[in-house]
Amino acid sequence: MPLLDIKNLTLEIESTQGWIKALDKVSLQLEGGEVRALVGESGSGKSLIVKSIVGAIPEHWRITADRMSWKGQDLISMSSDARRRIMREDIAVIFQNPVNSLDPSASLGEQLMESIPDHLLDKGWFWQRAAQRKQIAVKLLHKVGIKEHSKYLQAYPSALPDDICQKFMIASALAASPKLLIADDPTRGMEVTTKVQILKLLTRLNKIRGLSILFVSHDLLAISNMANTMTVLYCGQTVESGKMHQLRRRPLHPYTHALMESAPSFRKDLPPKSPLATLDGTIPTLQHLPIGCRLGPRCPRAQRECVKVPEERRIHNHFYSCHFPLHRSLK
Amino acid sequence: MTALLSVQDLTYTIRKRQGWLGSEERFTLSPVSFEINAGETLAIIGDNGSGKSLLARLLVGAERPSGGHIFLNGQKLDPFNIKQRCLNIRMIFQHSNESLNPGLSVGRILEEPLKLNTQLDARARQEKVVNTLKLVGLLPDHQFFYRHMLSDGQRQRVGLARALVLDPQVIVADEPFAALDPSVRSQTVNLIMALQRELGLGFVFISHNLGIVRHISDRLLVMQKGLVVESGKTETVFNWPKSEYTEKLVMAHQSLINR
Repeated sequence: MPLLDIKNLTLEIESTQGWIKALDKVSLQLEGGEVRALVGESGSGKSLIVKSIVGAIPEHWRITADRMSWKGQDLISMSSDARRRIMREDIAVIFQNPVNSLDPSASLGEQLMESIPDHLLDKGWFWQRAAQRKQIAVKLLHKVGIKEHSKYLQAYPSALPDDICQKFMIASALAASPKLLIADDPTRGMEVTTKVQILKLLTRLNKIRGLSILFVSHDLLAISNMANTMTVLYCGQTVESGKMHQLRRRPLHPYTHALMESAPSFRKDLPPKSPLATLDGTIPTLQHLPIGCRLGPRCPRAQRECVKVPEERRIHNHFYSCHFPLHRSLK
Repeated sequence: MTALLSVQDLTYTIRKRQGWLGSEERFTLSPVSFEINAGETLAIIGDNGSGKSLLARLLVGAERPSGGHIFLNGQKLDPFNIKQRCLNIRMIFQHSNESLNPGLSVGRILEEPLKLNTQLDARARQEKVVNTLKLVGLLPDHQFFYRHMLSDGQRQRVGLARALVLDPQVIVADEPFAALDPSVRSQTVNLIMALQRELGLGFVFISHNLGIVRHISDRLLVMQKGLVVESGKTETVFNWPKSEYTEKLVMAHQSLINR
């Protein structure tokens, strides 16, 4: 049984032009011990998926799904108390933009110690608790690669650079030893050596503790380094999903192909200073979504049929939704 | 032939006193020297807090150096003569979103530097704005747009247009590609390379993305804690790194690619 199972998740937002489908039939499955990457550009609804898993969606938005379950328990019909307990014990989230998601009025040490659950410190008397908490906090910090802990525990988020705050976020997410870690762009704006350090840490946790990770990012280099499977998202539609090495070697959807081409590091034969391959235009805003396949206006292979939403097709474990995939020649 | 931009022994010191009796905290940018020719690209890489952004700010004249000289075409730049400098060296800021004034239309944003630095009349300014917008791949109609009406990629283009509007010789950019999505990022990279080829611009940029650094830069400057650890041709530095720190960076990057 998969750990997290989402089928046809649709999220609608009300606007002046009526209800807009911000997420359109998104499916996502996560097995235990798996690292799945969720790739997409900004505005493609990655963070919305994260928020709807956690349940941090405003109540007046309409959320429907054929199936959305955690270990077989249905998340949507569950009482909010039960759902909260799952979020507290089993799922941890590293939110995007660390400086804004940390509390500016409490020191980082306080926030980290607050996230350590009580059952980790059941030994000793109550007056020893604070010292134990601190000890655990320091240990966590060393684990994520912060050496000068005494300097940073007193500090406030506004006083520190982004990457240190990010590491604090990771530390407090790992404090409760969750089963699933949802990392929303954890390596953004980090310098290469720090990035490698964080990726190694996550990979190690995955190998040793069997922690499943949903890695949400658009940094293809980091993703291809640690993920086993990948789901590509464009404008709230799942475009393609499958094993990482399959997608990298032979993408079937034009959008996945364009994403892979856009990273110069993947292509060793590219002469320096030559133009990179791109798609024209930019991601449409939510108010101006095209009908049918949302890549349509930007797609080099688009034809008349593309005004209808393509159905999901599969080749073994490789799912894609496109009328004219790359392995078939155009008429 | 004199180099387009040459920097000699540029230094900068920040002193900060902590409390009454507390020790003095210092940050020093050690002597930095480099040269670039017209049409060349220099990339600066390094840790957070290594003084990369400071160096960029020193180049455009936002900070005054403690010592050293900057020469443009063999002519020394006076630290107090801001006008001379901002005509020739222009900056693209890191956050394209926050660096645009939300209350002004794009046309006004682009017109401002022309008003302050040139003798052009209203009509000539208007023409210049339209031409610059076309140059960066936007439409003349975009001059009536406000910041919130533009997408990320378009904002970056406006930032670039603002840098280009005075026909500079050198453009300094602080992490121009960091906040952009992959497909938009490639578009911007292509645009900058094309403009460089056409106009012969010198381009100095700061980046974390070693893939792009390797792709577009001719020279490389590696910084750590205010020191220049290594500098040289990009291919040489990537293939035969001399210092330990550079080697670590390159190895980390390679380990990400080859898996």
